[in-house]
Amino acid sequence: MSTKGRIAGLALVTAGVATILLVHWMVAFWVPNEAAQGVVQRIFYVHVPAAWTTFLAVGIVAIASAVYLWLEDERADAAAVAAAEGALIFGAIMLITGPLWGRIAWGTYWEWEPRLTLTLLLWFTYLGYFLVRSSVADPRRGKRFAAVVAVVGSLNIPLIHVSVEWFRSLHPEAVVIKPEGPTLPSDMLATLLTSLAGFTMLFLGLFTFRYAVERLRRRTPPTATGETDEALI
Amino acid sequence: MNELRRAWLITLKDLRLEFRTGGRLLAMIAFVVLAGFLFAFALDQSQVAGRDVAAALIWLVILFASTAGAGRIFDAEEEEGAFRHLLLTPVSRPAIFLGKTAANLAVIWLVTALAFISLTAFLGVRDTGSPAAHAAVFLPGTIGLAATGTFFGRMSRHSSLGDTLLPVLTFPLLVPVIFFGATSTARVFLGRPWPEISGSARLLWAFAVGSVFIGAALFRHVTDE
Repeated sequence: MSTKGRIAGLALVTAGVATILLVHWMVAFWVPNEAAQGVVQRIFYVHVPAAWTTFLAVGIVAIASAVYLWLEDERADAAAVAAAEGALIFGAIMLITGPLWGRIAWGTYWEWEPRLTLTLLLWFTYLGYFLVRSSVADPRRGKRFAAVVAVVGSLNIPLIHVSVEWFRSLHPEAVVIKPEGPTLPSDMLATLLTSLAGFTMLFLGLFTFRYAVERLRRRTPPTATGETDEALI
Repeated sequence: MNELRRAWLITLKDLRLEFRTGGRLLAMIAFVVLAGFLFAFALDQSQVAGRDVAAALIWLVILFASTAGAGRIFDAEEEEGAFRHLLLTPVSRPAIFLGKTAANLAVIWLVTALAFISLTAFLGVRDTGSPAAHAAVFLPGTIGLAATGTFFGRMSRHSSLGDTLLPVLTFPLLVPVIFFGATSTARVFLGRPWPEISGSARLLWAFAVGSVFIGAALFRHVTDE
């Protein structure tokens, strides 16, 4: 990893963690309670940024995978793997915080409504992405198959976005990205945007490091057993 | 010879192979009948009316049978390298995909008819509704199942997880088919008017057309060495 890359990754992770700590202070002491839902709505400042980061990661996986299928460029595959791990981790945060919020707001942990269901299925698709990679003996073929799964799975993203409008759903509608502008009060919007920035920086920092590790792993010469020596990394 | 003609020849070849060997087809038929039998036993029909759950069970049996069968679509040709020879012929990858999907679809139709007859009989659904409305729902739904199964069936051939991988990859994608298929079939059983069903049928067609086009476009990535 180049010095510039290491500094950029470290700066992004540090800034991300610091911003998320600031968000936790804002959520605990600064932002007011939402009138209808009360204190439980504060999980929104973790849930929504985790969802945003998941979809950002999924978008990167889809684009990098499409580029890999087109050019068979190892860098694109390394970027796809790095982003896919982020999609799984931030997706898990989203899928855990959502039901915790739903338990109080809707009275149930889980509701089989379109956005929740499609998001869970997207997460399983990415689980399949890693299963395909690890279960195909020929690594080149495994990468190609995984890229196909990522491209096909990404078709779910627009469907998830429009599902709230298309189908009757318990899931709240968008409050920030709307044609008439955000409908969120300014202090809540400020907290949400700070959290979005923190999660994005943390993800991009982790992505930078993971991408570098993946590139390094592929450049590491195989050991006598034919395996890449993980201990060298 | 145009590509559609080549695809049709592949369909005929696959169907001939399917009916001559018979193993996959027989296993799927046995699975459908036994699954229907077991569902009828497992369901306490004094508490839950068979008619209320028949549509969902029919679609689930078709899904499980087609997924189990999809893992075996390429088996016969893999032996002696026949599929590799097929790839060496001047037939485009989309034509191979379309031909194999059509053959898979024919088998799924047989399974669907059997699942429909056995489950409606076992679960005591006497008035099954309009046959034309059922056809309008099952046709696009099964096309979606066939295209998705053929595409990922090829992928699972190279995985050490084998058939275990197939449901992990296909089930998340097939949820819209099961959801819209089962709700539409349930409405046909209840004799609801076509406008109440047509919306779901249109979405099933959208999925069917999308899966065939995407499968044809990406098939070379799951076949080329």
